[in-house]
Amino acid sequence: MDKELEHSFVKLLEEHQNIVHKVCRLYTNNQDAHNDLFQEITIQLWKAYPKFRGDAKFSTWMYRVGLNTAITLYRKSKRRIDTQEFDAVQFKIKSEEYDDTEEQQLKLLYNAVYQLNDIEKALVFLFLEDKNYKEISETLGISEVNARVKMNRVKTKLKTILNP
Amino acid sequence: MDELELLKKDWNKRGDSYPKLSYNDIYKMILKKSSSIVKWIFILSMLEFVFWLGISFLLKDSKNLKSFDRLDGSYLLIPLTVIGYVVLAYFFFLFYRNYRKISVTDSAKQLMENILKTRRTVKQYVAFNLFYMVFSSLAVLFIEFDQNQDLIAKVQEASANGHLLMFYAKVILTFTVVFGLVILILLGFYWLVYGILLKKLNRNYHELKKLEI
Repeated sequence: MDKELEHSFVKLLEEHQNIVHKVCRLYTNNQDAHNDLFQEITIQLWKAYPKFRGDAKFSTWMYRVGLNTAITLYRKSKRRIDTQEFDAVQFKIKSEEYDDTEEQQLKLLYNAVYQLNDIEKALVFLFLEDKNYKEISETLGISEVNARVKMNRVKTKLKTILNP
Repeated sequence: MDELELLKKDWNKRGDSYPKLSYNDIYKMILKKSSSIVKWIFILSMLEFVFWLGISFLLKDSKNLKSFDRLDGSYLLIPLTVIGYVVLAYFFFLFYRNYRKISVTDSAKQLMENILKTRRTVKQYVAFNLFYMVFSSLAVLFIEFDQNQDLIAKVQEASANGHLLMFYAKVILTFTVVFGLVILILLGFYWLVYGILLKKLNRNYHELKKLEI
């Protein structure tokens, strides 16, 4: 029975692992920290898996556990922001895919996002993942109105960081 | 174009650039141990319960208390001991109940609240113990002054020499300094250990709470 559970869990996570990678990408700044957080999220997902009832989508459930681990449970808080190091290690984008101005703008944007606090990053992350305000509010435990207000503030904050 | 929309476009494009872990890589991960703050809070809380239980056993066996047994203090000490254990059981039950409530599948705010609640239970238990320690020591002191013949003789001697006030002042000062030091050490320990452990959680919880105002 346990083996079956292990197998089904590992299969599901293997399939949806990108979600965890994305959370790690936003909350860490180098490969070691990325791997470390990935492992902790995996452990937390596995610990909670027996209670996963399947009435929610596995991916939706993963967002919550992943963010909760990154925001609250993950112990190593010394995660210095160094996006250049991060970009160099993990996200070498082929330059021909982007024109220079857009690439430059994106780089600045990613840098700005890394300067946000943990909660603001969570909002941005859920927005980037196309979650609606209802889902955002349920994941964070705030009202929908407050989620909207906060999101607008985050947008303004990003603008301020980009155009000081 | 809105900045976040531009970011979203790029974010979705990068889907394939993430590392791809194999079945075996993930399987190995689930066999490893967690190092989450909840685990640390559990370990530290257990140590606190054991610490205070240990202190109560140590005090019971101490020489001073054995000589104290010869005095008639049971009318005060038996109720105090019973209260001590009942309160321990009560706090342990509360701690266990709150700890079980911590679920990583709750909303971020709920999860933080449950962790903080569990912590608060242990904090209250320690506060109770400090109060209990001071109160028991006062009770013991009271019985000693009431029944210990050596002490009564000393008080009488001090009284005869006109140093009674000085004598009591010394007793009160020693008592205050000893307990003041114990409390300071404990507060320092709390500030250091839990301050570091819960810094991020408190900061993020405050950020979510701020939205409600």
